[in-house]
Amino acid sequence: MTTDHEPVIGIDLGTTNSVVAAVVNGSPRVIPNRGGQLLTPSIVAVAKNGKQLVGQLARRQAITNPQNTIHAAKRLIGRRWGSREVEDARKVLPYELVAGPGGHDVRVVLDGNPISVPEVSAMVLAELKADAEAFFGRVISRAVITVPAYFNDGQRQATRDAGRLAGLDVLRIVNEPTSAALAYGFGRGLEEKVVVFDLGGGTFDVSILDVSKSVFDVVAVGGDTYLGGEDFDRRVIDALVFGFARDHDGLDLRQDRMAMQRIRDAAERAKCELSTVPTAAVHLPFIAGGTAGHPALHLEAQLTREQLEDMTRDLVDRCIQVTAKTLKEAGLRPQQIGEVLLVGGQTRMPRVQQAVRELFGREPSRGVHPEEVVALGAAIQAQALTEPEASAAEVLLLDVTPRDLGIMVAGGFFQTVIPRNTTVPASQTHVFTTSQDYQPTVRISVLQGESELAAENELLGEFILEGLRSARRGEVEIEVAFDISADGIVGVSARDVHTGRQQSITVTATSGLTEQEIQQILAEGASQAPAPADESGARRRAALEAALEEIASLEPAVALALQRSRFGTDALDRAHRLTKQAREALASGDGQRIEAEARDVDRTLQLFRSLASGGGVA
Amino acid sequence: MTVANRWLEDGIRAYGRGQVSEAERCWREALALDPANERARSYLASLIHAAALAAPAAAAARARTGPSCAWDEQPGRVPVMEISADAGGHDVVSALVDSPRHASREEQVADLMQLARDRFALGDFSGSLEVIERILALEPAHGEALAYLRENESTLVHMYESKIGPLDAVPRLALRPEEVTWLQLDHRAGFVLAQVDGTASFDDLFALSGLSRLDTARILARFVTDGIVR
Repeated sequence: MTTDHEPVIGIDLGTTNSVVAAVVNGSPRVIPNRGGQLLTPSIVAVAKNGKQLVGQLARRQAITNPQNTIHAAKRLIGRRWGSREVEDARKVLPYELVAGPGGHDVRVVLDGNPISVPEVSAMVLAELKADAEAFFGRVISRAVITVPAYFNDGQRQATRDAGRLAGLDVLRIVNEPTSAALAYGFGRGLEEKVVVFDLGGGTFDVSILDVSKSVFDVVAVGGDTYLGGEDFDRRVIDALVFGFARDHDGLDLRQDRMAMQRIRDAAERAKCELSTVPTAAVHLPFIAGGTAGHPALHLEAQLTREQLEDMTRDLVDRCIQVTAKTLKEAGLRPQQIGEVLLVGGQTRMPRVQQAVRELFGREPSRGVHPEEVVALGAAIQAQALTEPEASAAEVLLLDVTPRDLGIMVAGGFFQTVIPRNTTVPASQTHVFTTSQDYQPTVRISVLQGESELAAENELLGEFILEGLRSARRGEVEIEVAFDISADGIVGVSARDVHTGRQQSITVTATSGLTEQEIQQILAEGASQAPAPADESGARRRAALEAALEEIASLEPAVALALQRSRFGTDALDRAHRLTKQAREALASGDGQRIEAEARDVDRTLQLFRSLASGGGVA
Repeated sequence: MTVANRWLEDGIRAYGRGQVSEAERCWREALALDPANERARSYLASLIHAAALAAPAAAAARARTGPSCAWDEQPGRVPVMEISADAGGHDVVSALVDSPRHASREEQVADLMQLARDRFALGDFSGSLEVIERILALEPAHGEALAYLRENESTLVHMYESKIGPLDAVPRLALRPEEVTWLQLDHRAGFVLAQVDGTASFDDLFALSGLSRLDTARILARFVTDGIVR
């Protein structure tokens, strides 16, 4: 698939799965990965044999290799070491987390090496980029990436850095609910309050948007960061494991990681099937036993939709409670909501849809596939940013502040200076007074968040304004000014109104990686890049010729070894066939063919070396 | 090669084929020609020791059932030993490890190491690997054993991989799903087979299996040769 202009991709970088999309011939569409699937698990691993895996393959060994399989990196991206979120994640993640060099950011230990979280996400993004390049047959260098609406500046910057490390110029970071609404509202001219009910693999997010033509204002967010489709899977897994134990004298398959890997995959498949059919069969032959003295055992089970609904009733109830609470906090009644958009694969479950219908008293919208909708919205936004004239709808997403910005005031409370969703660039001032008699200094703690308590918000930086005029409390006025540039750089200054003394700080959102570290990672990536085609082609050709020569010289010894061996009498025939093909490939000069043959020849050479070095045969 | 050593090698080959009596005869010939040949003496001692261990069981069996075959009535005859240690019989390796003649661990390890070399030289890499594993159980840091371990494993892996074919090929199940349960597999092979889904290459399966390369190669080679995957 080729187009005249370089396509710009939209990426839904999810906690559990990621999706890449682009506008093709005027319509947004999801780009399948090279395995043909639309969803790519956001998982990175180093397998036990040392191979680096990303996506579906990484997922398929996640249970058998938990320490070296990094999933849910999104829970950690842009978070500070020691924060509540990181501590919560450490309790449930099977892989090791350590503090970064400065002690502030989080590093993930992969195959014994601590790496930054943006680097992990970059591996997933690079995979999606490669999938898009394979689809379009050309290099892709620009993208729009989505993040949850509640992500702060640091998390957004970390996501940008991940894109940069993956070789992508990130044109815009877009809120996921906004992106979903964009996909639904594309060409439909929505103008109402919209609830985005996003039940993904690992998290549940509910967002209330005020949509007015091209303006998408996130007015409330809620959710549960530890509730998602995987919790539903776990219920099915438990049912299968306990059912098996009941039928096989208490044999506990949870002790066997291989068995659990298979059961997890089968449970997810069965759960998905039950969204469309009333019963699903699980058939896992040789799940246990089969060794000396232990007969092979098979897991055979039937699950019904009713059983699934029974075992996950409380999970669905939690989603509804969180949604109702978010509505209440926004001061809205369900009847005031114009549209309810379902996002995330778990919303395919009929019971979830029924519960949403009961809460809102209306049918939720299902015009777009729930797993794809966020990426499609990002693709629409990407198109609008790069080819506004080609965009069918006037899509204008302004960069806004994602969280409230303010300072800590007396009593440990948080005072907002710039509310979230303020269009940037922006500046705002607020006058405060001293809280103690003859107070000589004041500490300005710059925070980001929505909690009334300063300690529950994120500290961006702090400074002290000294030399205040000596006066009783409330008499000294301090003017605090916030200034946000278009690049998201926040400048904060504090000035004693009477003396004119001033102190300031500049806060730049950081991902935990310094610019120097990013440059170093990029440089390392470049040095590992493949050699130019001509140079590597000549090297491959020379290596293949040398290998063929060595195989020919080893053949007499190998023939003798094989005569004495009870193994592999056809190995010589096979080797003859391979070397003949390799010589033909060399004669053809076809680089791809030479490369393909070189792999086989190399294996043959290694085999020959082993056989020839077998002592007595020579 | 001396004539005595030729007898010695013939004995090892005979033993490898399961012809224990022939092996004993060869090693006796080797010892007759070269009374100082330690290896011949060692192998012969192992056979005799194993026979001695087996004799009470054989006698008990005779007492229960009476003579069952001709050699039971010839007390001087060495009983046939099983090659496979898994089958519960005695093999040369077990005999070497258990033999009271080998008072020191060093001697046991030296004898086993020689056996591993012999098997390797004969192309019996699985057998050599089995012996090496026993040496490493006794002496985990044994340098030569570790080198042979790597060599045996590498050779076996290459042999199995030559059976598998191109590792970037994507295997597919050649049986109907309901036929799978008729196979004789253990849970590890069952796991590997479950990963064969028509999208993962052989190379991917090595990464997914979580098993050693040798075990995975052995399982996959069996799938290919038995026509379970294609």
